[in-house]
Amino acid sequence: MISRLRALWNNAFHRKQLDRDLDEELEAYVELVAAEKLQAGMGPEEAHSYARRQTGGKDQVVQNVRDVRTGVWLDRLLQDVHFGVRTLAKNPTFFLIAVGTLALGIGANSAMFSLLDQVVLRLLPVRHPEQLVIVKEAGNHYGNSFGPNTMSWPMFEDLRDRNQVFSEMFCRFPASLAIGYHDQTVQIPAELVSSAYFQTLGVEAVLGRTIGRDDDSIPDGKPVVVLSYSFWQSYFGGDRNAIGRTISLNGYVMTVIGVVQPGFDGLELGVPAKVFVPIMMKTEMTPHSDGLKDRRRRLSWVTTYGRLKPGISMKQAQASLQPLLHSILEMEVQQPEFTRSATAADREPFLRNRIELLPGSDSDLREYMRRPLWILLALTAAVLLLACANLANLLLARATSREKEFAVRLAIGAGRVRIVRQLLVESLLLSGAGAVVGLTLAYVADRILLRIYLPADATVEFVVSPIPDGRMLAFTLGVMLLTSLAFGLLPAMGASRTEITLALKDRSGAASAGGMSLRRLLVSIQVALSLLLLVGAGLFVRTLRNLENVGSGFPTDHLLTFATAPTLSGYSFAETKSYYDRLNVNLETMPGVTSVGFSTMPILRGYAWQNAIVGKDFEGTPIEQQPVLSQVSPNYFATLGIPIVAGRAFSTQDVAPTDYAVVNESFAKEYFPGRNPLGQRFGLVSDSESVTPKTEVIGVIPDRKYRDLRETPPPQAYFPYLADSNVRGMTVYVRTQADPRQFKDALRERMRQFDPHVAVVDLQTVSEQIGFSLRTERLVAGLSAVFGCVAMLLAVIGLYGVMAYAVLRRTREIGIRIALGALRSNVIAMIMREVLLLIGSGLAAGGALALVLVNLIHSQLYGLNARDPLTFIGSAIVLASAAGLAGFIPALRASGVDPTTALRQE
Amino acid sequence: MAGIESDLLQGTLDVLILKALALQELHGMGISRRIGQMTNGTFDVKPGSLFPALHRMEEAGWLTSNWGQAETNRRAKFYALTRTGRKQLQTETERWARISFAMAAALGIGQEAL
Repeated sequence: MISRLRALWNNAFHRKQLDRDLDEELEAYVELVAAEKLQAGMGPEEAHSYARRQTGGKDQVVQNVRDVRTGVWLDRLLQDVHFGVRTLAKNPTFFLIAVGTLALGIGANSAMFSLLDQVVLRLLPVRHPEQLVIVKEAGNHYGNSFGPNTMSWPMFEDLRDRNQVFSEMFCRFPASLAIGYHDQTVQIPAELVSSAYFQTLGVEAVLGRTIGRDDDSIPDGKPVVVLSYSFWQSYFGGDRNAIGRTISLNGYVMTVIGVVQPGFDGLELGVPAKVFVPIMMKTEMTPHSDGLKDRRRRLSWVTTYGRLKPGISMKQAQASLQPLLHSILEMEVQQPEFTRSATAADREPFLRNRIELLPGSDSDLREYMRRPLWILLALTAAVLLLACANLANLLLARATSREKEFAVRLAIGAGRVRIVRQLLVESLLLSGAGAVVGLTLAYVADRILLRIYLPADATVEFVVSPIPDGRMLAFTLGVMLLTSLAFGLLPAMGASRTEITLALKDRSGAASAGGMSLRRLLVSIQVALSLLLLVGAGLFVRTLRNLENVGSGFPTDHLLTFATAPTLSGYSFAETKSYYDRLNVNLETMPGVTSVGFSTMPILRGYAWQNAIVGKDFEGTPIEQQPVLSQVSPNYFATLGIPIVAGRAFSTQDVAPTDYAVVNESFAKEYFPGRNPLGQRFGLVSDSESVTPKTEVIGVIPDRKYRDLRETPPPQAYFPYLADSNVRGMTVYVRTQADPRQFKDALRERMRQFDPHVAVVDLQTVSEQIGFSLRTERLVAGLSAVFGCVAMLLAVIGLYGVMAYAVLRRTREIGIRIALGALRSNVIAMIMREVLLLIGSGLAAGGALALVLVNLIHSQLYGLNARDPLTFIGSAIVLASAAGLAGFIPALRASGVDPTTALRQE
Repeated sequence: MAGIESDLLQGTLDVLILKALALQELHGMGISRRIGQMTNGTFDVKPGSLFPALHRMEEAGWLTSNWGQAETNRRAKFYALTRTGRKQLQTETERWARISFAMAAALGIGQEAL
């Protein structure tokens, strides 16, 4: 082994010396043979010539020795690279076009992969992340739910104590906490965690300690907090004496016990937690909402995680947990809180609930971004494939002009394998250069995309970074190798089949027809791929257009919004009520403000408060059809510009809890069909008491979107704000006279003066909010449009290249035709027939492929059919005209061939 | 002299070179002559196969080389066995013993002599 390495080293770096030695060794051999013959009595002349003959051609011997040297392949590779560089340098235009095309293709793929990897593929930065799973109770909920992956605290305790499959379990609850920062109050994202959180994850403290069992045994027992590394840096300036100091969260004094390792920001991608608090402090951290102490089994709020025992698969664990869940559910349906709030029809489906295990790295953002990012990566892959087809075409054309070179090399004894290898090395050089430039482009592209995509204040701490890492480099390397094979292999194989005798005769471009049919096939593939991309672009752009056109259903210009939560600053319900009363007056008298509205639920942000209702003619509501609810101020509808179509809006006198309601038309149609909804009554189902339908409908509004722009407006019911005494926070809507963007700073200052202790959250115009909610659609539409245009351009260039070459080759034939009396129009028709055949076959193949593939993007579309004929036909027409035009130029040139010059050629 | 080209059997040349060097170090021509002697002139190793083999075996660590004086006072490269080379010779000898015995039995060479 060592001698091999030494040989490799010597062969690589002491070649000259080795060759000199070999030379001398062979000289010595010849002389020794000659000397032997001299001794045997031969004459000196004769002896020497005999010796030389014996040696049999010194060069051949030297070559044979070189061929067995260790690392000879490296040697040859270097030769190939050297030769490749020289060949490419001879034609810088070709080199630049090829590298540029590849850089765009590879760069786009690397950029997309980097985002996909960081947002969707990567596991959590914890110990053995592959063992970590989210335990989800899938199926129907019959109470309040904080999201699809949540369960109740007692359910978590039961699973934790009675399961057989996890070595540890913990749960968490994300919360926003108020904290004083200089002279103002802000909200920071936090995680309330059960005691096993850090131990199970294997996340350590760099300073102090993490939360342990002792910190999380008694409710309200230990007011302690662990800081994230970045928060420790920004809030305490990285002070090592921070341990033992106190910070005020929601007005509660909490002792800092530790700082976690850098890079760990909690388990929710895109919402980096700044502090970690024992879940036993829930009452203090989420005032007036306490699923921990009242132990209601109908309130799902914790996200539960488990670490699989070694050797247990997710499937086994799921199967083992199912009977356990079922026995718990059997117990739950007996409880009065279930029987009171659920209908008999709810019971059976509820008992069919099941345990689902998800990868521990799953999060809302991941779920939401998965499909769009995969689609974009698929689009970039298609663009790269197109670029490869173009390059393959270019290389085929080059190979034709290099036939003589190959023939000469074959004739003097180069193996065909050697020629294939030589050409592949050239391809590799091209794609290597393309990859290097592409990585730079990817970095720039990711920076721009992140800046467009993320809210301005999130970029600083967001875990997605444009800087290439090992995984991205590996991906790029893989793409580079595949790419060079994709565009280099066919031309290389073709070149190695060069017929020596034919090629060496000067045939001036009368090249074999074999290459042409391959090139035509490549062009058809290009047309097919670009049709695919154009259709995709058309569908996504029209989806975005549709979403922007449906809009919110109310005028969003001149509308500002923000949220406050006084209870997070230690305000009681009474104080909160008075806060909003005063705020209403304060803002309505602010110069430039037209009107002010409050709502407990923000609109078009994906949130919904749902509850079952009862009425005289209907009993309970199946879970899926529960109406969405909100509590709003008297001026809410006027501020948003939503008209009252029947009855009246709330007045300041409507304060009694759930006496009056305003409903939308869908609600009226659903629950009071064929009747005048005004004066009808219904009640909200509660688990703590039985309810009589006493809430009277006093007004009806038209249907408006509630959760997001994509939904069909659900039945909605509104109650007077502050009527219910348990208001914790409100979203505020302010309609302004002038441009609301100019009004933001004044409003923020007004709020600070009004009450510096209450944080103002998400202050923005409603247009900005809606625009932001469409950012993924905008990203996909924008990028797919760019990719579609690039694809079309590549296909058109490819088609032009092939047709121009075909015409050039047939100049003589065309000349003869014209000389024999063919009309110019006949020539044009002849060439265009070929062009249209190429385009037609490409369109047919691409169209068929697109009809199948649109199924994959179906869920991302809005307001149009995935097989939308307008998009399909429109894309085909655009592509066909562009490609037809590109084909018409060579046809026109062909018709202009002068027969006399054409015939004199050759 | 009936010369047999040395690539007759895979590995023949290697074991002959090893054997030639078993007693003393030799230069290239010396190895060629020694093999001729050992095989009663059956194998006439030409430089075109000899030198690649020598260099290959040196890189494999079976041989070492150094420059010395040949009989005509000419500088020549002498090869010698290394410890690995000696071990290799032993393995190869055993292998060849097995093969030649098997071949002889298969072709009935021994019986003819009887």
